[in-house]
This record gives sequence, C-alpha cells and structure tokens, in this order.
Amino acid sequence: MRIKFSGVTKIFKPDIIALRDVHLDIEKGEFVYVVGPTGSGKSTLLRMITREVLSSKGTVSVGDMNLKKMRVSDIPYYRRDVGLVAQDFKLIPHLTVYENVSFVMEAMSVPSKMVEYRANKVIEQVGLWRRRFMNPPQLSGGEQQRVAIARALANSPSLFVADEPTGNLDFRTSAEVMKILMSINAGGVTVLMTTHNQYIVNTYRQRVVELDAGKVVRDERAGGYAPDDHL
Amino acid sequence: MTIFKYILRDTGRLLFRHWFLGILTLVTAAVMMWILGLTTLFSMNVQNLLLKLESELVVQAYVKRGSEVSAAAERIRTLPSVASLKALSPEETLAKLQARMGSQARALDLIGENPMPWNFEVRVKSASQVVHLVRSLMAMEEIEDVVYAGMVVERVAAISRVASEAAMAMFILAILITSLVVYNTIHISLYSRREEIAIMFLVGATRGYISTPFVLEGTFLALLGSLIAVGGITSAYFPGIRLLQENLPFLSLVEDPGTIVQFGVLLIGFGATLGWVCSYIVVTRFMNSATRPL
Repeated sequence: MRIKFSGVTKIFKPDIIALRDVHLDIEKGEFVYVVGPTGSGKSTLLRMITREVLSSKGTVSVGDMNLKKMRVSDIPYYRRDVGLVAQDFKLIPHLTVYENVSFVMEAMSVPSKMVEYRANKVIEQVGLWRRRFMNPPQLSGGEQQRVAIARALANSPSLFVADEPTGNLDFRTSAEVMKILMSINAGGVTVLMTTHNQYIVNTYRQRVVELDAGKVVRDERAGGYAPDDHL
Repeated sequence: MTIFKYILRDTGRLLFRHWFLGILTLVTAAVMMWILGLTTLFSMNVQNLLLKLESELVVQAYVKRGSEVSAAAERIRTLPSVASLKALSPEETLAKLQARMGSQARALDLIGENPMPWNFEVRVKSASQVVHLVRSLMAMEEIEDVVYAGMVVERVAAISRVASEAAMAMFILAILITSLVVYNTIHISLYSRREEIAIMFLVGATRGYISTPFVLEGTFLALLGSLIAVGGITSAYFPGIRLLQENLPFLSLVEDPGTIVQFGVLLIGFGATLGWVCSYIVVTRFMNSATRPL
C-alpha cells in the first residue's frame, strides 16, 4: 500500500507541535526506517497511519483512503490490513501465544479450522512453534516481539508498521527480528519502522526518513542512521 | 455462526474471570428483583381486594312515598357512575330485613303496616365514585334517603393509594439499585480489560465483536438474578396465600397459577432487559472514549 503525507501538521492540545508540515511519499513494497531523537514525532507519524491520531492540518492517505475522512465503521477493516508491532509488544498476558495470534482472525469471523491453520503457520514462521501454548510473561523479550510479529502477520497485511520493534531487545535478538521483517518486506509488504538502533539502520540499509522536532530533515534512499559525514 | 461461537466463548471467559464480582452482582440483582416482585404482588393483591369490594359495594337509595318509582329508576340509570340498579318493593325489602334479623324478626310484626318504602340497590363502577354518586342521589327529589358503607370505601381507597405509592417507590428503588450494580460490574470488567480492548481495536476487531460479550455478561447476570428471584417468589407465594386464606377466608387474593406464571415471565423479561440496557449504556460510553482518535 502506498502511504502519502501531504503537508501534515499535528498539534496536541494545548500547544505541543508533534509534526510540522510533513510531506512524505512511500511506495508500495518499500522498507522505510523512521529515525530521530526522542520526541521528534516518529511515533505520532506511525500512529497516524494506524489512525489512532488524526492530523490537525494536511492529509494522510493510505492506498486510496484519506484517513481523516474514513468512516468509523470502516476503521476495523482498514486496520486488518495494517500489521502493527509495538515496542511494548501489546500482547494479552492471560492468552497463550497461539490465542494471541488467533484472536485477530477470530475477530474477522474466520472459521476455526482456518484460524488454526493460519495461526500455526505464522507461529512456525517466527520460530515459536515449541512455545505456542505458553503465555507472554513466560517468554523472553525477543520471543514476545516475535509473537507480536506473528499476530501482525496473521491477517496477511499489505502494510507493516513497527514502532521501535527492537527497542527492548539485545543485539542478537534484534538481528533475528530484523531478518523476519526483511523477509516480510521481500514478500511485497510495505514496512515502516521507527528505530534508535544505529547498527540495524546501518547494517540493513534501506530508505531512511529522519525527523527532528516534528520536521522531516532527511529522506535518503539506502541511507545510514545519520548522514555519512556524521557517522 | 463462527462469530457467535467466539462471542459466547468470550462471554464465558468474562464471567469466570470476575467470578466473585459476578456472584455479588447476581445476589444483589436477585434480592432486588425479589423485592420488586413481592412489592408488585402485594400491590396486585390490594388491587384485587379493592376490585372485589367495589364489585360488592351497594348504595341503598330510598324513594319518597308517592314518587314515581320507574321514573326515578330511569333517572338513576343515566348517572355515569352506576354499574347496575335493582328496584326492591316494600314487601321485598321487608322480607329481606326479616331474613337478616332472624329470630328477632317478630319485633317487626308489632309495627303492623309495612313501613318500608320502595328502594334501589345501586352498584357503582368504582369505589372512588361512591361519594359523587351519593351526592347526585341526594339531590334527586324522588329520593328520601341514601345509605352506604362510606367509611369502608374511603379506607380501602386510602389503603390502595398508599400501597400503590409504596409499590412505585420500591419499584424505582429496586430498578436504581439493580441498574447501578450491573453498571458498576460491567464498568469494572471493562476497566480491567482496557489494555486488551485497546489492542483488539488496534488489530481490527469491530466494536460489536469487542462489546457484545460485555453486554451479554450484564444481561446474563441480571437474567439469572431474575430467575432466582422468581423461583424464590413462587416457592414462597403459594404457601403464603394458602396460609392467609386458611386464617382470613374473606380475603380475595391473586391465586390463579396462570397469572403468577405470567407475572414471573414478565419479571424475568424485565430483569434481562434492565441488565441489557445498563450494560449497553456503560459499554457504549466506554467504547466511545476508547475509540476516539487523538
């Protein structure tokens, strides 16, 4: 899915400017890192794509939909096409790995046989087959993140949004998560990921959009975490 | 079909997850519906008693000697509060009096000539109209005197009024308490799952899918509470009225099993509807705030 930000400004009441006149065009199938210091507006940008936050000015379009004009009843159907992975995993602690993944499909009235097949498939894809009946608190941070990825993959989304997916993970686990994200992108899914991890951005070179105080200060194809002369 | 299966499963999970709170709600709902049911039954019985008294209430109007009896009867029949009218000749009246006096009736022979005038037994449509009817009869020139059980009527009407007001107050109180308890239970249930609900919204669950189990939880608790209350009422009511009628046989009580079953079904339906409405309101309010974009 193509994502387009046209002159987007977001002001949180009373006067906190999170994004200022952002213009961004992300093509279908692209992998984009959104980098920048804390408070630069990275998460706000992602939350606009999931329609948790609406713009104060300008328009955010995903595919052919203007998110601000989207009907409330259409939001669930839109979100089913957006895989979401958060830094704090956002898993339901009293449900097992399998249940955390399957309930996304159950909410779509997918027949139980199909739910079982698809949930097992994505759990296997992220390497958690042997942990499928464990609850999130029994898993390591990396494993929990992989559950979140499996859940986001369950509905075969066209767009994958990851907010600091490696933020709480060690070097090795982060690399594992990145490999999964790269393979998802290789399947034609647009991936948008915010990160502070310089190593990851510099190792898995992709398009980099840098924000600072809510403004896009750099948009570079196959860029590093910072311009080369700053590294 | 699949979605119903998932929703029912989630409702079961909700009920078991907050089982203690659920039991508290159930007990409160059952007690309140029980009070509501008993109050309504009491009110129904008072109404029944009043209707019986009204149906037996007779105003005796004595006709002046020399007046045209049939013309007076016609005029009385046209009064709106009159249910029926029966004209009694002096002979019939005397015979009735003698029958009522029993062994003392011989005293009447001493009078010689029959002193009883023509009179009418007038039945009223409602006890509350008696006083008005008596005034109308007294104003008629053909009528000599009017006799009626004035105090009894006034007292029964007053009891009925107080009973209706007390029943209404209990009714409102029971509804308020039950609504508050169901509302709070569902609110706590929603609040304890607020993060889960936020996640479900983010991954594309519809509002109906998320909210239906909560609404069903509230409806189920109120329904079960009403069922327990109706069970308690019916098991206590029939032995209760049997005991009352053994000791006070003149009391006219609601004892038709069909009426009581109908009342029980209505109470269960009312309880379930109350649970549904309260849960729906709290869930809608919660979901509105949870889905509002920043």
